[in-house]
Amino acid sequence: VPKILLIEDDASVREAFEIALRHLGHDVLVRAEGETGIAAVREHAPDVVVLDVMLPGIDGFETCRRLRTFSAVPIVMLTARSDDLDVVAGLEAGADDYLAKPVQPRVLEAKLKAVLRRATPTTATPPIGPLAFGDVVLDRGSLVVTKGGKHLDLTPMELRLLLELAANAGLVLSRQQLLGSVWGLDYLGDSRLVDACVQRLRAKIEDVPAEPRLLRTVRGFGYRFGA
Amino acid sequence: MIRRPPGLQRRLLLGFVGVAVLTAAVTSMATIASFLVVANQHPIGANRVGRRIVAWLPTALPTRTVGVVLLAIGAALIAFAVFTAASIGERVLRPVGHLATAADRMAAGDLGARVEPGGDDEIAEVGRSFNLMADNLQSSVATLQQMEATSRRFAADVSHELRTPLAAMTAVTDVLSAHTAGMGVDAARATNLVVREIAHLDRLVNDLIEISRFDSGTAVLDAEVVNVRTAIETTLDLRGWRDHVRMEVPEGLTAPLDVRRFDVIMANLIGNAIKYGRPPCVVCASQAAEGLVVEVSDSGPGIAHDALSHLFDRFYKADAARARSDGSGLGLAIARENARLHAGDIEAENRPAGGATFRLTIPACGSVPRR
Repeated sequence: VPKILLIEDDASVREAFEIALRHLGHDVLVRAEGETGIAAVREHAPDVVVLDVMLPGIDGFETCRRLRTFSAVPIVMLTARSDDLDVVAGLEAGADDYLAKPVQPRVLEAKLKAVLRRATPTTATPPIGPLAFGDVVLDRGSLVVTKGGKHLDLTPMELRLLLELAANAGLVLSRQQLLGSVWGLDYLGDSRLVDACVQRLRAKIEDVPAEPRLLRTVRGFGYRFGA
Repeated sequence: MIRRPPGLQRRLLLGFVGVAVLTAAVTSMATIASFLVVANQHPIGANRVGRRIVAWLPTALPTRTVGVVLLAIGAALIAFAVFTAASIGERVLRPVGHLATAADRMAAGDLGARVEPGGDDEIAEVGRSFNLMADNLQSSVATLQQMEATSRRFAADVSHELRTPLAAMTAVTDVLSAHTAGMGVDAARATNLVVREIAHLDRLVNDLIEISRFDSGTAVLDAEVVNVRTAIETTLDLRGWRDHVRMEVPEGLTAPLDVRRFDVIMANLIGNAIKYGRPPCVVCASQAAEGLVVEVSDSGPGIAHDALSHLFDRFYKADAARARSDGSGLGLAIARENARLHAGDIEAENRPAGGATFRLTIPACGSVPRR
């Protein structure tokens, strides 16, 4: 049974989600603040974190950033305001996905399942053998990525995205295509998931992330990978 | 666009030219008369002016020189008359021109347009009246805009405040529904009613928040060139509408679209056609000169004439008897906002053959994909 950590400050919402998720058969852990939430991740190693944006003390974005310094646990942000800025800020802070409140339990359940599925290492055996793009080397057997000989620490999603891009090097992949092939989301998935993951990947594999040479944007069409 | 009345300008010009010509003619006649007086050394009739000129003239001067001097004076007078007429004309016309320019700017939406009335003639008076009118108009518009912004912000704030308690209630509705089997009849009915109305409230609050994002300008277009047919098929498949709709969409048609917003538009138009019209519902897309055109047509009774112009108003319901539908009453308003975010629009009309058609237009270059 996957263990879910819910970090939410509103007592009624916290209780309601605890009831709903238990009802769906999950093992639920609740915390009301960012700091105690971070401590709970260290202590209990949950399978997924559901994180509210508006928290007393350190907010959801900061909590997310701090979690990312030591953990690759899948994080779903709950945005109270369905503000686009919140969504983008959450994804940039390292969240894997987001949901706008109020959330139907079925929608939350589906999202948790999708996030958990994506977080497990890819089962399909990729073609063996290292691929080199500039000074970035991707070993598709061991799933080790190095840049200039130094090991790169990628999250599961970043690694999946890089594998997909490398397998189609030189081709333009639209964000809708990537949502389908990498995230396993249908056509209407949020393409900002792709943009945010691309940003994070660029920060790790590019010399100058603001002037990408490997992972380029093709304006209006998508992304192209290749040296 | 207000144009300076062409008649006024022409009449003023004609007037000034007339004055100039008349002055010139009178002056020339006087000159010629004087010239004749001098040339003939003979007073004409009882012309006292002529006689005086003759008396005043130094007799030593040759007649020829006197004639040339008089001609030169005549020419200078003509030039002076023309110059005076032109400068008076210019002085009258310039403030009129400034007024016309200010009115043009105001008509174009620049409520800060003012004139600088100089002097205290009638035209300056008109200028001051214009400025006063503009001041009043500007402050009224500012007040109205402020009131509208306040009420919209209030609606947005209320929606956000509703969201947290609603989130708690929405989360447990499934748990409630799952246990109705063990309840008494009344308790089960009450539970079902609560669950149903929470879902309705949920849609309403979500739509209010969505429309408040358009009002505050925080709605962002996230467009990418996509296949239009695939996009419409996705909308139909997600809602199980494939069998209700006939598609007439070319295979390779592409357009720069924000697929989630396009889905909201299509789901609304097709949903309405299925709910309020009669089958067949036809979705027809094409590339036209103005960009992508998608038409959703039904074969129902059409839309009442007086409802046509209000269809896209918030909370407008075409049929007053249909007191409360399961929608929020904001569907078409949100659909149109989404179309306008693509720099396009939605229009509704009744076809002569019967049935209603909603036409979505999205210009090819309007929604430049940004990232």
